[in-house]
Amino acid sequence: MCDVQVKLVAWLDRELPKDEAGAVEHHVERCLECHRLVTAYGQVSETFDAYCDAVMARKTPRQVLRWVPALAGAVVAIAVILLILSRTLVERPPVDPTISSAASLPVPAAPPAEAVLRKIPIPRQRRLARVQPYVGTEQPMDTAIEIAIPAEAMFPPGAMPNGISFIADLRIAPDGSVRQVHLR
Amino acid sequence: MSDESVPLALPLLRLADSSSEVMTLYREIRKPLLRYLVCLGLTSDEAQDVVQDAFLSLQRHLALGGDQENIRGWLFRVAHNQARNRQTSYHRRFGEALDGKKDFLVDDATPEQVVLKKEKFRQVASAIQLLTKSERECLLLRAGGLRYREIGEVLGIATSTVGDTVERAIRKLAEKCNV
Repeated sequence: MCDVQVKLVAWLDRELPKDEAGAVEHHVERCLECHRLVTAYGQVSETFDAYCDAVMARKTPRQVLRWVPALAGAVVAIAVILLILSRTLVERPPVDPTISSAASLPVPAAPPAEAVLRKIPIPRQRRLARVQPYVGTEQPMDTAIEIAIPAEAMFPPGAMPNGISFIADLRIAPDGSVRQVHLR
Repeated sequence: MSDESVPLALPLLRLADSSSEVMTLYREIRKPLLRYLVCLGLTSDEAQDVVQDAFLSLQRHLALGGDQENIRGWLFRVAHNQARNRQTSYHRRFGEALDGKKDFLVDDATPEQVVLKKEKFRQVASAIQLLTKSERECLLLRAGGLRYREIGEVLGIATSTVGDTVERAIRKLAEKCNV
């Protein structure tokens, strides 16, 4: 065992005086055993340092974990606020000042309803007739279908004005056959 | 925890107005000081408190015209003593800090490297259990970047004793870890 071995750690840590450090360095370059020890001590020091870092990392909560929940909460809160505002806000059209001033004028008396409302004639043939409950001898399985038959299909051309159709109730038996056609 | 994440205490900010050197010192020393305290057995929050208290003590020390030589060693000594005062069961928790039974965060890429590193850490952890309290403290302060003379000032022992203790501790670790 070399006497220098007890100084190897101090030499690695640069704690030896210059002359003494030079002598140790000279020895380490020639002595295989001391050279191996220097390498081993260096590795141990690095491993111990990394171990201390690992201990600190294990005991110290990561900072990102602290602000991520806060950020997520803020995002959710903003989203909720925006959602509420989008539902409660009602877009009001810009108020025309002339209209608003006109709204304050006295309102004339309303004319009679007959003068204002105009009766719109409804073509009879286009009006759908209310389906009457069918009373007959058919089974409840029968199906009633309301159909419109154009007049051209029933009368020769020119016999009836154009555009006229006839409404009929078509009843179909459970076997699919037509059981009755009832013109209204 | 990143260095930028911890807010500075107000007294330190006031001190920074008059001395940027203290701020530089804070940025340089804070992390190794925290690591030393955590490895001593303090929790992360306790270590943060001790670091803040140590710099507050530095503020008072400088305000009273105290010695400004070797501020680094002075801060470690103050933190070391405050850590001892805070812990009612200091010796027990000191041993628990470097407990090798727990898994460690290893962020290496390959699974093989993770396994190898964990195995190496387990060996180091079991070897640390065989060190004396003085040997552990010397190694931790050495890992914090302190010189032997500073370590001696922190622990109240001679510089030559620090050299012998560090050499003995490193040799033990190398033997136990089969390096």
